Amino acid sequence: MRQVLRSAFLLAVLIVLHVIILQRAATESKRLPAVRESGILIPVPVLIISSLEYKGFVSDLLFIKALIFRGSSYERKDVPRITPDEWQWFNGILIASTTLDPYFIDPYYLANAHMTWEAGMVRETNELLEKGTTYRDWDWLLPFYAGFNSFFFLHDNEKAVELLSKSSERPGPREQLLSLAARLAYTDKKTENAIIFLAAILEKTEDRELRIQYMTRIHALQARLLLEKGVASYKKKHGRYPTVLQDLVKTGIITEIPKDPYGGNFTVDPQGRVESSSDFQLMIRQR
Amino acid sequence: MSIITYSGITKSYNSWPRGNSVLALDGFSLEIEKGEVFGFLGPNGAGKSTALKILLNFVFPSAGTAKLMGREVSDEHARDHVGYLPENPYFYDYLTAKEILWFGGKASGLQKSEIHARTEMLLDRMGLKASCDRPLRTYSKGMVQRAGLALALIHNPDVVVLDEPMSGLDPIGRKLVGDIILELKAQGKTVFFSSHILTDVERFCDRAGILVGGRLRLVGNLPGLLSGAGSLEDVFMRAVGMTEERKI
Amino acid sequence: MIRRLWPLALITFREGTRNRAFYGISLIALVLMGASFFISGLIMRDVGKAAVDMALSTVSFAGLLLVLFVSIDLMAKDLDKRTIYMVLARPISRRQYIVGKFFGISLLIAVTVLLLSVFAAISISIIRWANPDYFSRFFWGPVMLSEVFIALSLILLSALSFLFASVVSTSFLTLVLTIISYLIGQSLTSVKALVEAPQASGITISPVTLKLVQAAYYLFPNLSLFDIKIYAAHGLAIPSSFIVWTLLYGLVYIILSITVAAHLFAKKEFP
Repeated sequence: MRQVLRSAFLLAVLIVLHVIILQRAATESKRLPAVRESGILIPVPVLIISSLEYKGFVSDLLFIKALIFRGSSYERKDVPRITPDEWQWFNGILIASTTLDPYFIDPYYLANAHMTWEAGMVRETNELLEKGTTYRDWDWLLPFYAGFNSFFFLHDNEKAVELLSKSSERPGPREQLLSLAARLAYTDKKTENAIIFLAAILEKTEDRELRIQYMTRIHALQARLLLEKGVASYKKKHGRYPTVLQDLVKTGIITEIPKDPYGGNFTVDPQGRVESSSDFQLMIRQR
Repeated sequence: MSIITYSGITKSYNSWPRGNSVLALDGFSLEIEKGEVFGFLGPNGAGKSTALKILLNFVFPSAGTAKLMGREVSDEHARDHVGYLPENPYFYDYLTAKEILWFGGKASGLQKSEIHARTEMLLDRMGLKASCDRPLRTYSKGMVQRAGLALALIHNPDVVVLDEPMSGLDPIGRKLVGDIILELKAQGKTVFFSSHILTDVERFCDRAGILVGGRLRLVGNLPGLLSGAGSLEDVFMRAVGMTEERKI
Repeated sequence: MIRRLWPLALITFREGTRNRAFYGISLIALVLMGASFFISGLIMRDVGKAAVDMALSTVSFAGLLLVLFVSIDLMAKDLDKRTIYMVLARPISRRQYIVGKFFGISLLIAVTVLLLSVFAAISISIIRWANPDYFSRFFWGPVMLSEVFIALSLILLSALSFLFASVVSTSFLTLVLTIISYLIGQSLTSVKALVEAPQASGITISPVTLKLVQAAYYLFPNLSLFDIKIYAAHGLAIPSSFIVWTLLYGLVYIILSITVAAHLFAKKEFP
């Protein structure tokens, strides 16, 4: 009996020690120099060969790796949160995942959600999205997103229309897509089209961070749209463009100059174009 | 016609890559008649096992021919009515004695009812009734040997070839095997076995042969071998020193 | 002929199911299925695909372990441990031995894959029940076909292991050769594509390497043909002509391997 008690006591002591020491060692390990996940990118051919018959599974793991990286980056304090090198790595991981399984939807979504706004890697994003479009021939969303990117970030309306048309060929909101494509063909309705496009994208977005970004953008565009309409009205009335936007308020066309949610000042140029000093056309957001 | 015939069998093993060859059997010839109990003696490494394995087609002769029950040993049907017990029998670990016997019977073409009857009989005779449904890996050496003997006899063969059947058995086991050999003899079966144990050879055999260094030195019926020599042991020791075969 | 081989096939099968490694492999399969719940949980949209990926990869991997550690054991151990005397002492020829053993092992593989497939079906069904919206492109047909292909490729691999066992002297060597064949067989298509168009990856390939790879392509089994997991995962259509030709390829390669194995085995001695 004594023997059993002694052994039980010893065991209990060891277990407690084990827990304490483990916690201590873990906190100590945080003092090691932080290794950034700019990590190693295994060349794609090597990855393909070494995945043997488990390509689908490995593509899942690679996606999860990218996802976890993105999630953990939100906890970082430095600015910018993710370095360009890391973004390259992120892109590389998603390329690898979609090379192993080009039908896998999640990497395409992840790329589109994060690589355009924050990383400014729109071309790379569209490369991925277009690969996805080729393989996922039943999917209307990928070409839709690619189309938006072309229109909004790359200012390539022609490409945007092409992608929207492709999107409309797949099962989905065909009418909506075709009408949007038609609108894009008219470049003078740029701000309005941008709002419509963005609103459609917003509808499909669940990520809270992204929704905020899109809504801010929509507000900015609506502000500009109001001013643009005001400028057009002024032109009609007075035969020329206003020299300053204050003129619109003075002549009672608008009640007040709307605020730019990006904190800039709206101005009008001699050709009647409304711009903002915040230059929210290019939108790499730093936080 | 003899039921077992060896004609000028030579077997050499080449050790790869060096090429030193070992001559396991050298011009070995022997005839065993139906109904005989033949004891095969010889020192370790003399080639007894090899000779038996040639009969079962486990090993191929480098020269010479061997026939079993009127067929070339390379013909699988030569083994239709032959039972074999190897020196250290190994079985599939996880099968039971009953399952092994089922396999042996079925593979030799027996019907289900026959197998059932003979299995019961043999398990009983070998004293394995109690453990017949346990996996073979749990058997003691003696039990394994007895199971092997049962397997050799499941199909009621006309010829029984036993390689050191008494090895590793306790006196009870030895008595059992000995009794069975005598029973087989009484049934008119042919028994061909190799052994170290001279007393056993004296007990059961009609004829015996002494193999030394791959060559048959002495062969003949027991009385003839022993005449004027004293014990079989003396005969054996002298045979080891001989250079030519002597038939008696 | 089948009737004579049935006893050997059956005891081979039985011995396989009682092998301790068999239980270990079943345990591994269960653990991996458990992991699939976890991994599917991390995937946001293509949950169906991830569930199928994991389920089929588990069937494949556990099956591979079976071939490497049970099937080879059943065959090569016969030679190592001299349990073959028990069988060859019967009126069975060397050729019949090989074919009988092979039937037994094929049966073992087929039954095991079937069992694993049942577990896979359960695991997929549970994930589907929890995430019904993400299984819109899921069909059982391609999944089951994938499992049939897995079984066939494993039987093929074990036929090849028979060939090796008929030539080399220890079960360890047979194991090593079989593993190498598996690795080559799975990566062959990718490697061949790579060496035939190296400029896409920015590397240079010597003509000797190219010829070697092309020769290997015809010699070793092209196991990647039997890997249709991605198509099953996304519910993509698989042309029936592909199915037919691949099945034929498997069959022919198996028959070839076993025939050569039987021929070589007839020359083997057991001193």
